[in-house]
Amino acid sequence: MLSTLNLRALIVASLATLLLIAAVIIGSRNLQNFDGALIAYLFGSVFAWFGLVYRYTVWLQRPPTRLYWRRGWQFFFSGRMFGHGWALVKHAFTDLGAQSFIRKRGLARWSGHMLMAWGCVIAFAVTFPLTFGWIHFTLASGTIDTYVAHVFGFALFSFPLNSFVAANIFHVLNWSSVMIIVGIGLMMRRRLTDAGQIAIQTFEGDILPLLLLAAIAVTGLGLTWDYEFMQGRAHQFMGITHAIVVILFLLWMPFGKFFHIFQRPAQLGVAIYRREGALGPQAVCRHTKDEFATQLHVDDLKAVTRELGYDFTRADGSSHLDLSPQGKRAALAKAHLAARKESGTYFG
Amino acid sequence: MQNTQIKTDEEFFIDPQRCIGCRACEMACAECETNGQTSMIHVDYVDRYISTQTSVQVCMHCEDPACARVCPADAITKDEFGIVHTANTARCISCANCVLACPFGVPKKMEETQIMMKCNMCYDRTSAGKRPMCATVCPSGALWFGKREKIAQMRPNSTPVNTFMFGAQTVRTKVNIMMPAGSTALSVD
Amino acid sequence: MAKLPVSSEQLIADFGPHKNYPPREGFVGRDEPDEVVKTHCCFCGMQCGIKLLVKNNRVVGFDPWEEFPFNEGRLCPKGVQRYLQNNHPDRLLHPFGRVEGAGFRPLGWDAALDRTVAEIRRIQAEHGPHAFAMLSGVSLTNEKSYLVGKFARLALKTRNLDYNGRLCMVSAGAGNKKAFGLDRASNTYADLAHAEVIMICGTNVSETFPTLTHWIWQARDNGAKLIVVDPRLTPIARTADLHLPIRPGRDSALYGAILHQLVKHDWLDHDFIAQHTSGFAEATAAVKDYDLTWAEQTTGIDAAKIMRAAEMWGRAKTSFLLHARGIEHHSKGVENVVSCINLVLATGRIGKPYCGYGTITGQGNGQGGREHGHKCDQLPGNRDIENPEHRAHIARVWNVPEPEIPHKGLTAYEIIEAIHRGEIRGMISICFNPVVSLPNNNYVREAFEKLEHYTAIDFFLNETARHADIVLPGSLHEEEDGTVTTAEGRVVRIRRAVTPPGEARTDTDILLELARRLGAGDKFEFKTSEEIFTELRYASQGGTADYFGITYEKIEKNMGVFWPCPTLDHPGTPRLWEDRKFATPDGKAHFNPVSYRDPGEITDAEYPVILTTGRVVSQYLSGTQTRRIGKLVDQYPEPLLEIHPTLAARYNIHDREVVRVVTRRGAAEFPAQLVETIRTDTVFIPYHWPGRKSANQLTSGHLDPVSKIPEFKVCAARLEPLGHPEPVGDARTAFASP
Repeated sequence: MLSTLNLRALIVASLATLLLIAAVIIGSRNLQNFDGALIAYLFGSVFAWFGLVYRYTVWLQRPPTRLYWRRGWQFFFSGRMFGHGWALVKHAFTDLGAQSFIRKRGLARWSGHMLMAWGCVIAFAVTFPLTFGWIHFTLASGTIDTYVAHVFGFALFSFPLNSFVAANIFHVLNWSSVMIIVGIGLMMRRRLTDAGQIAIQTFEGDILPLLLLAAIAVTGLGLTWDYEFMQGRAHQFMGITHAIVVILFLLWMPFGKFFHIFQRPAQLGVAIYRREGALGPQAVCRHTKDEFATQLHVDDLKAVTRELGYDFTRADGSSHLDLSPQGKRAALAKAHLAARKESGTYFG
Repeated sequence: MQNTQIKTDEEFFIDPQRCIGCRACEMACAECETNGQTSMIHVDYVDRYISTQTSVQVCMHCEDPACARVCPADAITKDEFGIVHTANTARCISCANCVLACPFGVPKKMEETQIMMKCNMCYDRTSAGKRPMCATVCPSGALWFGKREKIAQMRPNSTPVNTFMFGAQTVRTKVNIMMPAGSTALSVD
Repeated sequence: MAKLPVSSEQLIADFGPHKNYPPREGFVGRDEPDEVVKTHCCFCGMQCGIKLLVKNNRVVGFDPWEEFPFNEGRLCPKGVQRYLQNNHPDRLLHPFGRVEGAGFRPLGWDAALDRTVAEIRRIQAEHGPHAFAMLSGVSLTNEKSYLVGKFARLALKTRNLDYNGRLCMVSAGAGNKKAFGLDRASNTYADLAHAEVIMICGTNVSETFPTLTHWIWQARDNGAKLIVVDPRLTPIARTADLHLPIRPGRDSALYGAILHQLVKHDWLDHDFIAQHTSGFAEATAAVKDYDLTWAEQTTGIDAAKIMRAAEMWGRAKTSFLLHARGIEHHSKGVENVVSCINLVLATGRIGKPYCGYGTITGQGNGQGGREHGHKCDQLPGNRDIENPEHRAHIARVWNVPEPEIPHKGLTAYEIIEAIHRGEIRGMISICFNPVVSLPNNNYVREAFEKLEHYTAIDFFLNETARHADIVLPGSLHEEEDGTVTTAEGRVVRIRRAVTPPGEARTDTDILLELARRLGAGDKFEFKTSEEIFTELRYASQGGTADYFGITYEKIEKNMGVFWPCPTLDHPGTPRLWEDRKFATPDGKAHFNPVSYRDPGEITDAEYPVILTTGRVVSQYLSGTQTRRIGKLVDQYPEPLLEIHPTLAARYNIHDREVVRVVTRRGAAEFPAQLVETIRTDTVFIPYHWPGRKSANQLTSGHLDPVSKIPEFKVCAARLEPLGHPEPVGDARTAFASP
């Protein structure tokens, strides 16, 4: 079973990797726009892509995940696509963009996370296309102070060398580095002072990712520092250390905490699932007599738990899962009371 | 995790019939560092119309936790000490699968923050060698944490049981429920 | 002084109660406190040990104190949340003066104290010294209780000093003095844990003394049988071996009937009765007609159950009897208490291991506070204010001529009546909220409206203090050192954790300063709480409550010392009467004959339902503190009318429907809670709330002739369903006073 799963993921990941390589070749016009200095980054990225797709595929094969995946698409194309599509956009904005649910967990926490998240997103948006040779810059022919930006080999726009736009384009990675460093500072403070966090955090799970990001941002800034203020004397050192930490980051991305970046969009699927469930019948607890979930969810969970090897079916054909959480707790308390009563005393 | 001081010879024991419904545990749970003023323990009247009986429920820390198995995001993990931890905040997508699948009705979904939270046996305290907050303050002994030999000596009329039947499903847990002496399992429904 | 200066809604907006919650991630500094202070809970008589976490002179959290022997870290929800009374937005931070039409305005200390002193002088000059009364409370430490007693007698020079213990356990105190000559639970709870039969009478242990539950459960683990006498199936009664759902107000009938059975079946300890008691013949003669048929008719309990209780009690080798407000809050409170004691004496089960008896004292310092002289008829050491020898001893300690000590004054409720009669014109109060806690409280409120001057010392503006002319901001439990005496008779140390915030001062400072300004400064030269305690030790020396051998150091070393402790090398007395030498004049324990009589008010055609009152686990007394702690309020936000479905059906009352409850004293509206856990002839309302939802608007002012305790636990009522469900939102908890 396990080997089949891995095989499927292996195939999907291999195909995806081939696709990426093809896209790199085509997008960089047969590598003519590819910057040879970035070759190490390219290998790291390709490996990360393979790992991500592999893990994602494995993840999607877990029964509960597969269910959400399947249901999500099923509902998306259910004929109510417009409504769901709009909901998706809204959720993408509040949950992924503004991360408002983290805001409600705490202001400092949200600020830190927003800075890190958007710092990373901006940096990814710049570095991956550069690495893949999908964008590159050239001097406009016949000038010495106008740059042209090429995307997939097509000239897209040009800008003067000493302009505001130019400064931002060349320094965008510095800005994202600063965002990330400030964000890390906020998060690290919490990790070092909050007793609850200290009790449950792990080094490799929670501290190391922050350190790694910090190393990337700091060495990245170091490159600029070296270029601006040290006349490039430390370029080789800065370049190599930056490359090492970035590649470490890329290799680790599919396996460590950063995987949540790719997992988080599932929240959108959950939102659609809930909308769809709300349109159907609701599950009513036989103990509390109140609605407690969508019937769709309860039924799906019965199927998922069965697939996972659980059987909560009762003698009368109903399921223990038909009870609300409070109903389940009451059922246990009542069963315990009955057992005590049978023993001849309520107390023992 | 600072788990060096976990006392592996101490266990959690519950006796719902001793519960007087005072909610000291609930108030104390909210004082735990790991869950920031949100109480993880559940105390409810079973049916106030007919009785003052209350149910009291901490996480039972299942050997094969359904909550973790149904989690689509791998957010719930069981550690080497058998503690089933609260959802990993980075991963949890607040789908509530765990809330509905847990046979004991333990996980809580926090709507605002879109996260599931559950009892982690006061990891901040147990990992420092202390007893969980709820079991420390419980004035009735409905919640008790300590050595198995000690409770056997204190409560000769009861046996700790950690096997539960929910329909056709048998569930084994780290946390025990005190049953009439000689019992081996509690059949819930 | 007249009505409130502004509407009660405005006063609530300005001074609360507001609900205090901790910040979502706890108070800053809780992880690394400056100090961890081992002290006790500020609430009930259990006085559970607790550790307070202090950061920057603020209490920021708690930690269980697992080494303290009574509770070993166990707490109730009030104890867990007690720390939130500190850092409270309602805390009074300045003295305040009443400004008609505007409410209360901050005043300087000098101005506030001067006005109080000037009014005391004026009223006493015009109407005599006793026209100025003082009311006190037993949430105060022993030191402060003692100080209040001395202050009232020597600085205020009034005989009219009484305290809120009057509405707590005075019936038990009086009954114990009659039977044993001394007022203290005879045993520690260590004996309880090994008793064969435990009878708890009129005490909802599970909600009012949750941490005592552990000891009862422990006893049951050791094989004890539990008998619970209560009109309601409380959580402690739910699993009991025998629950006797008694009709309120019929307690002495039940205990008389049990005594009848003990005699009939000869379940008696003849040797003990002969050698160590007196009055047995009279006591049994009084119950000779109380057979089971009569008992069933009177108490409303099945005869078979009464018989079973008698048999369980009669045949046991060891036993423990506990009672509390359920039998004490009656116009027959003392009779109920001695009828319980008769059962203990008849079986000779006292003064030996695993045999015990005691009232479960309700208030934090209900025990110590009732021993050291802030009670109208008492001097320190539980001495009698009318006993010449006792007066002489205290006069020596206080260094005053004996005649300077005033004689016996009026009790709390009688003081209210005296205000209505115009005999009392001025009042100073500390630690007492009678507008919520006294019965028939519209009448009580009117009394406060009639006062010419009223100064209130408190840390929050409680409902009574809203009527004050001057409000002096006093101190919380955690802001002063001292001692209290627990329900077991264990003297424990209260430790100062923080100093009063803002301009607030300690209660002790306020009383000492007032004494100085009243010209009695030379009698009040105390620099520390320990100095007051030292004087208290001398004052109590030779009295029945003898604290002479107790010192702060000794308490700290032993985590408490049980009085009596007459000498410095005395270890204290956990179990009383082991020597069978009772503190009565003849050295014997006294049986007291109790002939049953009806409660002060019985049901009739007009008022056909019995109303009883009590507490809920999340609230404490008049709620001055607990109605300000968010989670405690949320746990039980408003008083509900508990009613049996059978009775509800008779009036067509539905669950959560608002019902107007009418008695001869007033009417109030409560949502109904239909439960099968109460007698079908009785309804129950918890009393912690003020204003429109105050249950004590309905209760009666019938007093016990001996203890003067009011009859909170039984009166006659009429039910009028209003046909609409309880309102939603804020209207549910609008408690503003009229």
